[in-house]
Amino acid sequence: MSEVPRDATLYACLYQPAFAHSASADATARPAPTAEAKAGHVQRLSTTDHRPPTNDPLVSIAAEFSSRYEQHRADLVSVDVRGLSRLFGTPKNIGAEMRREAASRGVRVHVAIAPTRMAALVLALARPGLTVVAAGGVADALAPVPLSVLEQLHEDAQGAGARGTQARLQADDARAAIAALKRWGLRTLGELAALPAADLSARLGRGGRVWQAVARGEDTRPLVPMQADERFEGRLELEWPIDGVEPLSFVLTRLLEPLSLRLERRDRGAAVLHVTLGLVTKEEHHCRLELPSPLREVRALRTLALLDCEAHPPSAAIDTVSVSIEPTPGRILQHALFARPHPTPEQLSTLLARLGAVMGQERVGAPAVLDSFRPGTFAMTPFALEHSAASAGQTPARSGPHDSTDPESRLTAHSVSALRRWRQPIPARVAADPRHRPLRVTSDRRGFAGGSVMTCAGPWRTSGAWWEHDGQAGPWSRDEWDVALTDGAVYRIFRDRVTAGWFIDGVVD
Amino acid sequence: MLAARADRNTLVTALRERRLDQTLTTALPTLDPRDEQAVGPTGLAALDSRLGGGLPRGHLSEVIGPRSSGRTSLLLQAMAAATARGELVALVDALDMLDAASAAAAGVDLTRLLWVRGHVVTNPGLCRDLNQRAMEQAVKALGLVLQAGNFGLVILDLGEAPHEALRRLPFTTWLRLQRMVEGSQTVCVLVGNEPMSRSAAGLSIKLQPSATADVNAAARFHGPLFDGLNLEARVARARVQLTDTTALPLSTKVARHV
Repeated sequence: MSEVPRDATLYACLYQPAFAHSASADATARPAPTAEAKAGHVQRLSTTDHRPPTNDPLVSIAAEFSSRYEQHRADLVSVDVRGLSRLFGTPKNIGAEMRREAASRGVRVHVAIAPTRMAALVLALARPGLTVVAAGGVADALAPVPLSVLEQLHEDAQGAGARGTQARLQADDARAAIAALKRWGLRTLGELAALPAADLSARLGRGGRVWQAVARGEDTRPLVPMQADERFEGRLELEWPIDGVEPLSFVLTRLLEPLSLRLERRDRGAAVLHVTLGLVTKEEHHCRLELPSPLREVRALRTLALLDCEAHPPSAAIDTVSVSIEPTPGRILQHALFARPHPTPEQLSTLLARLGAVMGQERVGAPAVLDSFRPGTFAMTPFALEHSAASAGQTPARSGPHDSTDPESRLTAHSVSALRRWRQPIPARVAADPRHRPLRVTSDRRGFAGGSVMTCAGPWRTSGAWWEHDGQAGPWSRDEWDVALTDGAVYRIFRDRVTAGWFIDGVVD
Repeated sequence: MLAARADRNTLVTALRERRLDQTLTTALPTLDPRDEQAVGPTGLAALDSRLGGGLPRGHLSEVIGPRSSGRTSLLLQAMAAATARGELVALVDALDMLDAASAAAAGVDLTRLLWVRGHVVTNPGLCRDLNQRAMEQAVKALGLVLQAGNFGLVILDLGEAPHEALRRLPFTTWLRLQRMVEGSQTVCVLVGNEPMSRSAAGLSIKLQPSATADVNAAARFHGPLFDGLNLEARVARARVQLTDTTALPLSTKVARHV
């Protein structure tokens, strides 16, 4: 084989035979993180199965020759070498150069060059050294290859697609198909390629056709080039130090605008935003914002970063500003035509950040009722940013008077009596009869006129957490009363059975 | 002369047909009770009927009344109705007095409720400025929520707020809030002991214990159990056209859980 037409397809495949298959399968499923990724500073751009571990020698070799390469496993890489003849000459020279490059890195590889990617793959797996096949010689080159090579390709398919139940089932089907071929007495790929396609499909289904295409060296899909890691980072060294949030706002805008543009081009959003401020004191002020939804709007990102800087201001003037974004696939938002619009996740995250800065992070969220008998117990949960319209009308855990989603049936004649509860019960002076039945309730607290008890209901005795002695809330034991006073209000008061003190817990409103 | 009168009547009829006859008045057009874009039903059938469908969207409404007048019950009812419609609800709880169990019992979908807990205290003691700052923070939080937009119902609960702290708020606060909510699809409700927003208010609902009987009759007791409250609601002020401003009897009922 001497020269190939310049527009003819030509693929090279590199196979590292000493690589352990089990390790390679794991490495393919979960690429080894780089030191930067471990440090949490950089997240790879691509989230497909084609992410290259940059420390992989085969990938490094392939990247030396072409930007169009695909890693099938940690030990198997395909390279599109079309057009390299102008640099290296014949395909044999290209292959020899690849082997030389691998040897210089201390890696022993099989190299196969063929007009189709599949032929190159099979030959690299089956033959050691360098194999070069011309355009018309694919069938002859593949014919003597033993059928067992399909098992290696099957392992490849299993390793690449073992992330779902469906993929595992397909791998099982493939294994069964190869076993059937062996039972039929087939030994080489040439024998498999010679079988009638229709009959093979009738007996083995679509998988049989796929394996026959492999035996014939036909590509079932094009090469999917891997994308190099793309970092979304920006850094600005300031000529003069800045102090305060307002000048920082302009710097952040300048850094975030190009990053936002790149995120948009890649259809990515920011999952985590890192802002590192270099201070004049040679210290660094780090700010890490985990965004609840993928964002790429400059204004929202800048606002969130500034709010965090306001809440945690740097200790000195700022010398350098670095911004790093961990990307994540963009969010697809489908608005409904007839549903009432909700705030977008960007608006909500900005709102929550602003509210947190004003009121305190722990005082903003969604309430949740805890499974506890302790009066007034609740929990603050993060307010969800995305609410589906389908969840509307669902009855809550402790359903109220509306058990139907029909708007008309939600109309009721009366509402549920609600309690306004003081987080810290108000100490009260209660005149009670010998059975602790309250007769008069007063308090020193301003705004509580108090008065005689007109009617009361109780006592409701509750207690709990007696097994806790050093807990934050501690045990409680009390008798609750609902009392209607002469001031016209109905209060819930209780007598602490431990301290024998009376308290106003809340007012029925 | 007759021709001129006929022309005038024709003009008036044409303006009324196009609803242009009220553009220069302070009163807003009658609300369409079936239009959920215009009103937010509270879920109380009798009150919604009286209000022309519910609380007006794009207006600053007030629910005022003393303790045990049913303000919180009405609010939770409105919140439950709003969340059941799939809307998001925000509650700026200036005094941090929401009882989550009561909200759940009223049927509020708590996952759709943004609860902002304020720092206002009933008894500030010598720290008078503490409440002033906390009140300003609560109003600022309300403004942020209104600016974010697309909340179905936004409530500022000042039910037990100290009178002095309320009066020290600039009057323009309410006008500014009214301007923020204007033109939006949000129902904004202020809750307090007394009227606050004055001329900025779109609708004021005054609640009080039922006056049909003695003071003791407002609270219903059945044997050893407290059963609920007998209340009255009255539309104290309305920029929207409401014809009936008489007292409307309401009641609350205690939710029993086993």
